[in-house]
Amino acid sequence: MSGWRRLAKLQPQIISWLEVGPLALILLLFFGVPMLIVLGVSFFDYGRVQMIPAFIFDNYIELFTSSLTLRLYLTTLKYVVIVWAVTLVIGFTVAYFLVFHVRSLLWQIGLFLLCTVPFWTSNIIRMISWIPFLGRHGVFNQALMAVGLIHQPLSFLLFSDFAVIVAYVHLNTLFMIVPIFNSMARIDPSLLEAASDAGAGRLRVVREIVLPLSKTGIALGSIFVITLVMGDFFVVKVMSGGQSSTVVSALSTEIASLQYPPAAASSVILVVIVALIVSAILRLVDVRKELTG
Amino acid sequence: MASLRHGPRPWTFYALATFFALFVLFLYGPMIVIYVLSFQGPNGGMTFPINGFSLHWFKALIEQERTGDIAGAFRRSLVLACIVGALTVLLSVMAGLGFRRRFRGASFVFYMAIASLIMPGLFVSLGIGIGFQMLGIAPAWYTSALGAQLTWTLPYGLLIMFAVLGRFNRAYEEAATDLGASNWQRLTQVTLPIVLPGIIGVALFGFTLSYDEFPRTLLAAGSTNTLPLEIWAMTTNVTSPALYAVGTVTTIVSFIVIAAALTAIALIERRRLRRISAAERTIGED
Amino acid sequence: MNAERKTGEIELVNLTKRYGETVAVAGVNLTIPHGSYCCLLGPSGCGKTTILRMIAGHETPTSGDIRIGGSSVVGQPPVRRGTAMMFQSYALFPHLSVLDNVAFPLKMRGLDRDRRHAAAREILSKVGLERFAERLPAQLSGGQQQRVALARSLITNPRVLLLDEPLSALDEYLRLRMRGELRRIQREFGITFIHVTHTQLEAIAVADMLVVMDQGRIEQASGPREIFDQPRSPYVARFIGGQNVLGGIVESVADDITLLKGDQGARFAIRTNGSRPALGSRLYFAIRRDRVSLSRAVENETSSTIPNFVRGTVHAIEYQGSYVKVTVDVPGLEEFVANVSDGAYFVDPLEIGQPVLANWKMEDVHRLEGDEQASTAQPRLETALS
Repeated sequence: MSGWRRLAKLQPQIISWLEVGPLALILLLFFGVPMLIVLGVSFFDYGRVQMIPAFIFDNYIELFTSSLTLRLYLTTLKYVVIVWAVTLVIGFTVAYFLVFHVRSLLWQIGLFLLCTVPFWTSNIIRMISWIPFLGRHGVFNQALMAVGLIHQPLSFLLFSDFAVIVAYVHLNTLFMIVPIFNSMARIDPSLLEAASDAGAGRLRVVREIVLPLSKTGIALGSIFVITLVMGDFFVVKVMSGGQSSTVVSALSTEIASLQYPPAAASSVILVVIVALIVSAILRLVDVRKELTG
Repeated sequence: MASLRHGPRPWTFYALATFFALFVLFLYGPMIVIYVLSFQGPNGGMTFPINGFSLHWFKALIEQERTGDIAGAFRRSLVLACIVGALTVLLSVMAGLGFRRRFRGASFVFYMAIASLIMPGLFVSLGIGIGFQMLGIAPAWYTSALGAQLTWTLPYGLLIMFAVLGRFNRAYEEAATDLGASNWQRLTQVTLPIVLPGIIGVALFGFTLSYDEFPRTLLAAGSTNTLPLEIWAMTTNVTSPALYAVGTVTTIVSFIVIAAALTAIALIERRRLRRISAAERTIGED
Repeated sequence: MNAERKTGEIELVNLTKRYGETVAVAGVNLTIPHGSYCCLLGPSGCGKTTILRMIAGHETPTSGDIRIGGSSVVGQPPVRRGTAMMFQSYALFPHLSVLDNVAFPLKMRGLDRDRRHAAAREILSKVGLERFAERLPAQLSGGQQQRVALARSLITNPRVLLLDEPLSALDEYLRLRMRGELRRIQREFGITFIHVTHTQLEAIAVADMLVVMDQGRIEQASGPREIFDQPRSPYVARFIGGQNVLGGIVESVADDITLLKGDQGARFAIRTNGSRPALGSRLYFAIRRDRVSLSRAVENETSSTIPNFVRGTVHAIEYQGSYVKVTVDVPGLEEFVANVSDGAYFVDPLEIGQPVLANWKMEDVHRLEGDEQASTAQPRLETALS
């Protein structure tokens, strides 16, 4: 009898496991295990084209002693900080406009979709689309020259840090807008009215009410943007014209030349750093409630 | 602030609206430029001016001069995206339902999904590539690449289901049980129909994320490319508007899928309105 | 469907529900006769909704038994219990038309389309909604939605209908109309209704049987008039309202009359009907607001030694239509209210700040049980009075 009862109590758990199981299994097989493999391989030795199973720290020692590592991380950090700041300002402003200035719900949904549609199209194509735009003979230069603002085409526009940052902002601002929009949409508009009744000006209302209440959205968006920029390699490769490299783009070059163990070690270090950043953000703001509804 | 909801619009509205318009221009402007440039004449180059209007570069894609197996990659990507979309819907809807109860290991699965979402795609790809190499299995788009893409789409699907089911009122299910529905009837006749728009959203994400996925697939696709891999290869060796033509074609496919999904969602929501007029007509006839 | 033969008598035996450390329902015993309209009344969090949900089968009791029509239903699925529940939010399926919502239980039972639609139309006509059969729930007003929910609950001929705060989503006007409607439908179907509410007036207006609850326990269960007239404890008296609750220390007992000394020196005389309270113990009693009479007091007059006279100053005056509610500040009492009939009041209207004497007849005093409760019940006064 008691055994039967225990089973009855356990039953909902079993149903949950049957429902969650397939998803968990796939994530385990294609994410959990591969990550462990990367960790393992990072201790391997390697030859010209093959890996040699071993347990050595050479890959890590080399990483920590090379001055290249620091340079790569500084470049990465530069991109992350600039892109984060720009996407935050744009994301916050756009979300604030959509939530608090667009009155009709239909318009709000429509304009929100207008911002999100590019997310469902190819990143590579969206990145490439800057090439004819920013090039020496590109649209932007031609337009500036036609207006008479410049007489020589600007050459820093394409294949430069500028181009990399423009492409990052273009691809990733969405990840700021959506979570901030969601947080803001949950703010009761009467809070804003109450604040302005209490004598707060427009800017004060934003600073005292809207900003603190969209904290979780900002945190979530920041996590997305920071991890996306840190993990990217193709934007840097194409848009800098090979002139600058970040941690992951350097790593992708190693992978291309089949040097898996040092690439794996570099991955492990980057993952640790990303995890530290993410947990620091999570320590500041608890986003789990936001994610699980 | 009361003026935000009623009365004349404040000056901030116009300032912010201008900002928003510029942002939209920034978002779409460059894309529109390459769609226009993909219709260059045969002698046209990678930038303006437009040198005649033709479908030359689209033909070049099909004939595959200098461009590689675009058509095959396109076909593979479509099939793969359908499979990934279907699996994402099935698995994330099930998991979303499962997560509504407390169970042992719930936070482990949740944090694994989040980790999988923010992990740089190249690393996942690297791990899967090495794993298959160690096992002595040749990677292929329908095995390793499929798995790699699911590590990207499933977390999205799960989070969408959290949002959808979080808004779902459990009283509907209790009412169904109360009124005599079995568990299966409750699921198929009450829960799923009510959350159907959200499920279509999951399908849209599953399909488009897979269709455009690049870093995770890179080392997991094996000997035959998916479309984004093919485009990646083209960026380094194709210096003609054919590259833009590919962009135009793949974006059109994306837009068709997005439009289909959004229309389906809008139709489901709109059904109510049509019912109103139908109901009013019947009343009028009485 | 043998549910039709069985009666809808409900018996709760030592019913207990715990969530971890918190006790939502603490060993409740209650019998609700078949065909009665029973209201579970109490402040939010008192366990009334938990009891309802356990009867419906949406919660499992930690211990104890639930019997419907004489047999235990614990562990049975809702559909086998012969109960139907009407949800606070109505839980009308948003994707189904009114007709399909009402026919839903019959569809689950495998009836074919024509038969279930015919049955649904019939019951919709009973609640006056056959015209709206093709609409979706979102296109109905709150009152109409509620009637659809009612029709959907009743279509399977349940022996017990469980209503969770059924009127809380309606505006004042509809609430008054719908509560009469509920009563009418309960009479027409002749089944047991259990109605959960936190509104005293609503409960008194519809119920045959009133169950007042606090902190997972039943404070009192009986007819509404009895509860209003003879509340058992200070808690019930305060919660039901319309009463002044007073207390004092027993000073002397003689000839069935007990003399109490109030905190500020006032004296109260009450009948103790046979029992002999111990000298020095604390007793509580209630006096209905409309049994209190007020008169102007002369400054410096010391009349507090006369039993059942208290002295105070007028604190607030509220005109209520047929009577005037006069709140009097009495030192040592939380609240003291006299409801004066409007005719009597306007002969000689009072002003705020006017010293008054309040008095009442000993026959109108109702003795309350319990002594400790007064202190525990006090923090909940705001909810009880609202």
